[in-house]
Amino acid sequence: MAKPDSLGQFEQLVMTAILARREDAYGVTIHSKVEELARPKAVSLGAVYVTLDRLEDKGLIASWLSDPTPERGGRAKRCYRLEALGERVLEESAVTAKRIWESLVDVWGREWGRRWGRELR
Amino acid sequence: MGPALGKGIALMASGPSKSAEAIVAILVPPACREEVLGDLHERYRSHSQYAFEAWITVPLVILSRVRRTADPQVVLIQAFVLYLSFLCAAWFKEAALLQAQWGLLRIAIPAGITLLVVMLEDAYANPGRRPPLSLVRGPVLGLAFALASQGLFWSGNPKLALGRWILLSGCAMSLLLSSAVRMLFPPATQQLHGANAPADWLKQTGGSGENLRALAAIGAVLLLILVVLQLWKRV
Repeated sequence: MAKPDSLGQFEQLVMTAILARREDAYGVTIHSKVEELARPKAVSLGAVYVTLDRLEDKGLIASWLSDPTPERGGRAKRCYRLEALGERVLEESAVTAKRIWESLVDVWGREWGRRWGRELR
Repeated sequence: MGPALGKGIALMASGPSKSAEAIVAILVPPACREEVLGDLHERYRSHSQYAFEAWITVPLVILSRVRRTADPQVVLIQAFVLYLSFLCAAWFKEAALLQAQWGLLRIAIPAGITLLVVMLEDAYANPGRRPPLSLVRGPVLGLAFALASQGLFWSGNPKLALGRWILLSGCAMSLLLSSAVRMLFPPATQQLHGANAPADWLKQTGGSGENLRALAAIGAVLLLILVVLQLWKRV
């Protein structure tokens, strides 16, 4: 299988949301987690669907339909999980993000790093 | 307090109206209808929220489905074949049109409309392998829309319309060529997997030998049409 292109920021958010939701990763829960990660930016449900489709085409995630539930009007959920390739690519992205963070702390000082570190927590 | 609370619970428990859900169900392509309708239902808070969310979600779902089903290489072949059909028809019936102002653009209008409808028809097709004859449905629908648009041009802005014979012979040739291309390179209605996946037809045929044979078939069809048109012009 060919190596996929590097992940965009929104793709990283969606994959992180899938990883965080574990067995309960489907459209609504992924969207709410992505909104939480991307705050204060608003994220549309449609943008999440487009990204999920793209990630699936790249072979980074896999999907399946679950059983229908009454709170969804008798409709099934499409659940997602990361593939091994997806986990590896996400790991590489996280390492790169950490390197960016450390470089910024070097340039803008430890005080800036502590302030944003507190905000992020 | 009691009745108000009961009313609130009833409101929270209610879902979107059947008619609103039916409209959204028609607009969402069948391949992703189940999960999109379920997610919208689960996020339902009020009628206006449901309508607004459907309004901003459905176009993106359609575009994503078009991206998944339309193979860029096959779309380019389709565009070329459709434009060539109307171009050949204009060349045989009214060669002056090719030199006229906006002449080449006027030829592109029916080809563009047909291509757009064919792409949408693939996006709305049921997932799974389709019988070869159902692949003709896209070009037939596309050409019907192209004819309807020309009808509107004839009544509203005749400068943009093509002549009747150019249009009819262009449509006939388009139908033949476009259907042949679709049968040789069937659209991908199944979900694709794999990093940087190559064209779906490439995976289906499994090698360059098959593709060369397919391209040779298109060439043969084109040649046949040119011979028929040449004979028709002499008669």
